[in-house]
Amino acid sequence: MRKVVAPDYTVFEHVKRHVEAVKTAIREAIIPESVTCSYPKERRKMPASFRGYLIFDPDRCISCFGCAFICPANAIRMKEAEDGRYYPTIDYGKCIFCHFCLDSCPEGALKPTKIHDVAYRDLDRMLTLTEEMIEPPEIIREDKRYVEYVIDGRDLHLRRVDGEDELLVDLPPPSKVERIASCIDPESCTGCRICEEVCEHGVIRSSVEEDGVRMVIDSERCTGCGLCVKECSMRVLRLVRR
Amino acid sequence: MTGTVEALINLMMADQVAIPLLDPILNILYGIPLLGHLLALILWKPLFAALICPGFATLGGLLMLLPWIERKLVARIQWRIGPHEILPQMGGVIQLLADSLRFLFQEVIVHRDAKQPYFLQFPVLSFIPALLPLLFIPAGTIIAIESPYGAQIVLAMVTLFPLFILGLGWASNSRFAYIGTVREAFVYFGYEIALIVSAFAMIVLYGTSDPLAISGMQQVPGIILNPVAALAFFIASAMATSRLPFEIPEADQELAGGPHVEYSGILFGLIYVISYEKVYILSGLMTLLFLGGGSGPEIRVLGDLSGLIWFILKTLLVMIALIALRAIYPRYRLDQALRIGWNPVFTLSTIAVGVSLMEVLLL
Amino acid sequence: MGGLLEWKVRAPDKPMKDRLYFDGLKANVIDTGLCSRCLTCACICPVDGIRVVDDKVDFPDREERCRDCGACIRVCPRFDYRPKYGMGDYLEFTAARSKRFSGQDGGMVTEIMISAIEMGMIDRGLFVGRDERWRPQVFHLHDSSQLEVGTLSGTKYTFATVLKELKKAVLLTRNGVGVVGTPCIVSGVRKLQMEFPLFRDRVRLVIGLFCTENFHYDELMSFLEKKGIKPEMLIKTDITKGRFIATMVDGEVKFKVKELEEILPSGCSVCTDFTAVESDVSVGSVGSEPGFSTVVVRGKSAEEVIAYIREKGYAEFGEGDPGQLDFLIDYKVGRFYVKTKDDKD
Ligand SMILES: Cc1cc2nc3c(=O)[nH]c(=O)nc-3n(C[C@H](O)[C@H](O)[C@H](O)COP(=O)(O)OP(=O)(O)OC[C@H]3O[C@@H](n4cnc5c(N)ncnc54)[C@H](O)[C@@H]3O)c2cc1C
Repeated sequence: MRKVVAPDYTVFEHVKRHVEAVKTAIREAIIPESVTCSYPKERRKMPASFRGYLIFDPDRCISCFGCAFICPANAIRMKEAEDGRYYPTIDYGKCIFCHFCLDSCPEGALKPTKIHDVAYRDLDRMLTLTEEMIEPPEIIREDKRYVEYVIDGRDLHLRRVDGEDELLVDLPPPSKVERIASCIDPESCTGCRICEEVCEHGVIRSSVEEDGVRMVIDSERCTGCGLCVKECSMRVLRLVRR
Repeated sequence: MTGTVEALINLMMADQVAIPLLDPILNILYGIPLLGHLLALILWKPLFAALICPGFATLGGLLMLLPWIERKLVARIQWRIGPHEILPQMGGVIQLLADSLRFLFQEVIVHRDAKQPYFLQFPVLSFIPALLPLLFIPAGTIIAIESPYGAQIVLAMVTLFPLFILGLGWASNSRFAYIGTVREAFVYFGYEIALIVSAFAMIVLYGTSDPLAISGMQQVPGIILNPVAALAFFIASAMATSRLPFEIPEADQELAGGPHVEYSGILFGLIYVISYEKVYILSGLMTLLFLGGGSGPEIRVLGDLSGLIWFILKTLLVMIALIALRAIYPRYRLDQALRIGWNPVFTLSTIAVGVSLMEVLLL
Repeated sequence: MGGLLEWKVRAPDKPMKDRLYFDGLKANVIDTGLCSRCLTCACICPVDGIRVVDDKVDFPDREERCRDCGACIRVCPRFDYRPKYGMGDYLEFTAARSKRFSGQDGGMVTEIMISAIEMGMIDRGLFVGRDERWRPQVFHLHDSSQLEVGTLSGTKYTFATVLKELKKAVLLTRNGVGVVGTPCIVSGVRKLQMEFPLFRDRVRLVIGLFCTENFHYDELMSFLEKKGIKPEMLIKTDITKGRFIATMVDGEVKFKVKELEEILPSGCSVCTDFTAVESDVSVGSVGSEPGFSTVVVRGKSAEEVIAYIREKGYAEFGEGDPGQLDFLIDYKVGRFYVKTKDDKD
């Protein structure tokens, strides 16, 4: 165990430090710096990777449930749409903006925005349906300039720049380790072929032969979405690194 | 009947606040019955001191302004903005007005276990030690009660403050209030002696404790004559106000909120201003003892008001210094504060007495 | 573990051409009265569609949901039925009474399972508990504190859906799973293990119970109610020396087991396995003094657990007498012949 001991200053050093502190205070009182951003009149410029509200592209979604599955706050529920497929809905009352969903989406159907300030009338409305997620959420903008924080040497400074910050970002989908589905225990496979049915891209194929079923995964086309892995009743499928 | 009134008016006219600039106007006003009498009454020095300056009106004005100055100043030092939204054109000056309105309309909750009569009385009573000392502090030549023991009386009154705070903590009858109360008592032990001894050093130096005489004697201000005493007195006052570096009884971040946790509404408002009252009185005393009271280059046309203005300006300066400490130092722990009170500050104040004695003997 | 991108699944021959595998199972096992209701098929079914309807195993919406993979046929212990009988091989025949737990007899089933969990051999055991109406319910036992409900040990003479839970247990487990069950359940587990390596590795301890017969819940309850026994009042049921003993809050009712023959399920009447010969350890009441459980150790894993119990002194060991079992073994074999002869007639 290490004990923390107060530094052993001499009286002179003490006085010096007090004088320094008072000097700093006087300096700041006369010519103050400021780090306060007067939102909403100005807005802090967020990095493009800011984790704000999400937009959703149903054409890309393969209903893999990955987002709902990974959501640590249980904010994402899959809802059946008219075309019989399942799309995510996000309850922003629960969402913690970790963007795990976005990172886990194998098809890049979820996109980030820098929007973080949406007001709701009540809790129920915070449940954002799929249709409402296609367009970015509507916000009122009063900001005429944006603010950047710059660190030079020891100090943090505020830089104000006129103009509006673009809140919609165009980021490529996050890069991830490429994975493909594969069978780890072929003997335990029941041959139920549910995997074939759920695969969006027709990567898993089966053919019934004389004495059994032959299963093939087309590794070239497998996107590693994990749908089959999740559906496999015997859990013999697993995602492995390509 | 009319004789006595006449005599009284003559008495008052003999001791009026002299303002040469306004003399022509005043002379006309004096001629008007009733209004003239009223004016004479108000401008009667003792009453002027008690009611206007340094007394009630000034105190009230400062209480409205001081928290704002504090917030604004501390915010500046700490790179923030401070009160802003209420009257933004003027930097939110009337923030405290809004706050006090809120206090006024909030419900005063007297909880079941409180010792009710005392609980209600103490916040109001605590205005006594705030107002009485002001009668003995001269603003230039204007003073309410002249007394050869003025300085001691002010000190005695100031050291009465904690008694009322202990009282309201006790009347709250809640464990959180008790904790704050006990801590208040501890801090009180820490600064009291140093405060009195350093003031005593100055009284020894001047050889009198008549406030008017003291301010008259300082061709060279006391802070130069005995800087050690000034330092000790300043630190002790900072402790006495129990504000941020020594905000030990309240300690919002760790405790529930000091002796007055149970208070709400206007009663809380009254307690809230106690510490500002203390700041004002101790700064006044400091100005008197160390900064020459109302002395300064005299502005002829203003007459008595010239000394008053100097006094207020100096007091304001001391107050700002006391307030700014909040932005510079973090809070000391209780034991550290006691150690500071008994070790360096007490030593400083005794040294100050020695310095005074030496100067008296040598000069 | 690497992966395979191409593999082959062996499918059994279709018993009924152009029909679903399950239809074949139904025709060959369920409808012929061979089904023991062990629910091994329900355990393996990938779409989880097999369930008990009117005391019979069925797949009601198979037309839509069945994937026709044939797994049910592969694992059914009664499809291609080869009856087991006798004492089977064993390493040790003994009698014991647990010092820590009370149970039907000596509480040894509970003791063995908890000890195996304590040893780290398994991390969950499947137990059959009950609700206040004596409906059997399957529990995943993780540690002994769960036994405080008091209804987990003790025999329930009704079919339980132990194997339906087994797949879940196997997929969730980290170390291994322990199963307790009647001989038919034990056979089902072994068949599963034979067909699917998943179960081979993860089911580490199979405790068999001696069993002459078991009953359908509704039938047994209405029978007992006719006898004036309300399930809510029941504390314990037991069959000893040819008598059914129902202990209730306010007394006891005894009657001859023979009377229960009218509700004897057909699956039980074709069963000849009294001692659960395929288990790792069989436990029962015959073969030892009252208050003791007869313990027949057959497998390596069970031997380790018993050694552990001995070492810790968790149980008191007594003398077991294999001879006493002969009567019931023979009785079951006899019943099988009578039944098959009846069927032929
Ligand atoms: C249907 C049935 C018939 C039996 N018939 C005989 C018999 O004829 N002769 C004989 O000597 N012994 C028979 N037994 C075994 C006996 O009743 C005791 O279960 C055995 O002696 C173990 O006792 P114990 O005190 O060691 O077990 P305990 O510690 O009391 O544990 C009993 C275990 O049995 C499990 N169990 C209870 N009911 C069922 C069920 N319906 N299906 C699956 N598991 C269940 C419980 O989950 C528990 O784990 C039978 C058991 C059953 C379930």
